[in-house]
Amino acid sequence: MEETRIGLYVCWCGTNIAKMVDVENVAKEMESMPNVVVSKDYKYMCSDPGQDLIIKDIKEHNLNRVVVSACSPRIHEITFRKALENAGLNPYMFEMANIREHDSWVHTDREEATRKAKTLIAGALNRVRWHESLEKRTVDMNPATLIIGGGIAGISAALEIADSGKKVYLIEKSDKLGGHLLNVDLTYPYMYSAQEMIKPKIDRIENNPDIDVFLNTQIEDLTGYVGNFQTKISKDGAEKELKFGSIIVATGLKAFKPDTIKGYDYTNFPNVITSVEFEAMLKSGKILTKEGKEPKNIFIIHCVGSRNHDYHEYCSRTCCMTALKYSNQIRSALPDSHIYHAYADMRAFGKGCEELYTKTSRKDVIFLMYDQKNDLPKIKKASVKDKCEMLIELNEKLSGESVEVAADMVILMVAMESQDNAKTLGQTVGVSLCGNEFYIEKHPKLDPVATTTDGVYVVGSCQSPKDIPDSVSQARAAAARILAKINYGTVEVEVTTAVVNEELCCGCQTCVSVCPYTAISYDDEKNVSVVNEVLCKGCGTCGSACPTGAIKCRHYTDQQILSQIEGLLSKSLELQEV
Amino acid sequence: MSFQPTIVSFLCNWCSYTGADLAGTSRMKYASNIRIIRVMCSGRIEPTFVLKAFREGADGVLICGCHPGDCHYHEGNYKCLRRFHLLQKYIKQMGMDEDRLQLKWISASEGKQFAELANSFTEEIRNLGPCKVKEVMETLT
Repeated sequence: MEETRIGLYVCWCGTNIAKMVDVENVAKEMESMPNVVVSKDYKYMCSDPGQDLIIKDIKEHNLNRVVVSACSPRIHEITFRKALENAGLNPYMFEMANIREHDSWVHTDREEATRKAKTLIAGALNRVRWHESLEKRTVDMNPATLIIGGGIAGISAALEIADSGKKVYLIEKSDKLGGHLLNVDLTYPYMYSAQEMIKPKIDRIENNPDIDVFLNTQIEDLTGYVGNFQTKISKDGAEKELKFGSIIVATGLKAFKPDTIKGYDYTNFPNVITSVEFEAMLKSGKILTKEGKEPKNIFIIHCVGSRNHDYHEYCSRTCCMTALKYSNQIRSALPDSHIYHAYADMRAFGKGCEELYTKTSRKDVIFLMYDQKNDLPKIKKASVKDKCEMLIELNEKLSGESVEVAADMVILMVAMESQDNAKTLGQTVGVSLCGNEFYIEKHPKLDPVATTTDGVYVVGSCQSPKDIPDSVSQARAAAARILAKINYGTVEVEVTTAVVNEELCCGCQTCVSVCPYTAISYDDEKNVSVVNEVLCKGCGTCGSACPTGAIKCRHYTDQQILSQIEGLLSKSLELQEV
Repeated sequence: MSFQPTIVSFLCNWCSYTGADLAGTSRMKYASNIRIIRVMCSGRIEPTFVLKAFREGADGVLICGCHPGDCHYHEGNYKCLRRFHLLQKYIKQMGMDEDRLQLKWISASEGKQFAELANSFTEEIRNLGPCKVKEVMETLT
């Protein structure tokens, strides 16, 4: 057998690791570990010079294993595997020790953190010894795409993909395309008509032979993997099977219901309305109270359900600018009205938005700041002598004064929430929810539309509250990712699959019953289990259920994990009593 | 002088390991006794791994997986749960405190919960004192 020659690289990550872990000492001490041929520390291992260092050493020192001790393998495992590949080594002859997220960033004692880094590296060194070369496998990419959600995000993605001649199945749960934009009048900051934007797009969808639209449809079941998904949907009473290679989830948002906020008494005051209701009013062309009169005093409350512990902690991102848009529209329609805003912070971050704020504040609009976390305004019924319907009580933050404002109409700028079925749909397509019930992207900065399930993308407000341009950008980004994959023609599939050693298999079929993908079948003639490697996703459940040890979970073998445990617990690296 | 337990933690790649990463990116601080091993799914965790950890000197073993219903592989965490209950019984019969082995659900967004768990589990094991398995095994051989 070939001699094991390991290269160990300890990353500083600037000061991120080096501040809490004595990386030079770690690299020096770990050099004496068995089979370690070179051990180095470097400022940024993931940088080009860092990777070149590995490649050069592999060639110069004839290395056949590499351990990089740096950040989480979830971030740079792929980077370093590629470096190994570039040096002519199998990418799976690599292991990472996470000494940043699991060490330097979470501990406060430099000595302890340094010792822990050594134990993690010892585990990785032990493990990598047992690594085996694994060959990449590819399958054909089905060029069709399933898009779930027919709002602006889903529509944009569908057109982008179909315009390049690829098939799109667009599924919409309601009876029409367009989503929330159908109910919007003008859009901020340039006051373009939402209908003029969305209608031509819907027409193009309906006339595009490459897009099949399924209205009143939801998916309940999904099988397959990247490149080869399938689902069954019912259309016109008949069941239809769809096959596609990629999925875009664009299920959007729903509006927060303000019933639970006591001080606003939304259910009792007929003229306390949500921004959704006011938008409909604008679209109909008439701003009227429930009594059919033009309101004289209009009071707009920001952050309703947003940025508050009791409701949602996040900012819904679009309400501030929508509220400013309302002021402009009200000012045009009712020149003599009084317009008030109770706001928490004016968030005018987008292109043209700060300008909209400046423009609006010159239009005789009064801005009152309130504490959205602890001290919400109160809406009270006015008495006859007040000559208005409601009075708003508010502690104005900037002046420190308590104010009382007359109002005939109150508009609540309600938050954006995830859809009610976000969790179930997420489970169907394999995407998790974040703490705020929105879908989690693969990486918040570097991979914002992909998810941890290959071939599934999340775009628009189902991922977090978003305005139209951001939703469209995400939709087109996902479309571009998918088109690139379709263009390539094949996709790589999981190589860390399970494999059965037929000599050890006793034919008990325990593995067949535990496999969640029906990837294991039983060969009646040989009396052994057989793994279908295309269906296997490498979870390893069969491996731990197998009573004879016949199943090997590639890259997570018993030997590899047991050796890692030994390394982690090497006596010389134990914590000292203090 | 306070006892410093050694803890091995098996985390599933998709939820719990990501949750532990989030604790890191959020710079939450927790006890440095815990040493993490990544597996793709909590369903991969064999009883042998847990016993091996105790055999090699771990004072506690913490398994974390996705919350019920959230498993990346549909139901690996349920299989882990079943094995866990049996394994707890088993280590009890071996004369160990069953609380030295625990299973918790940590999602990808629960960095804070992971940090708190790492601290509370460390404290619990510290109170239980050193695990004698390794010592006993060494006298036997």
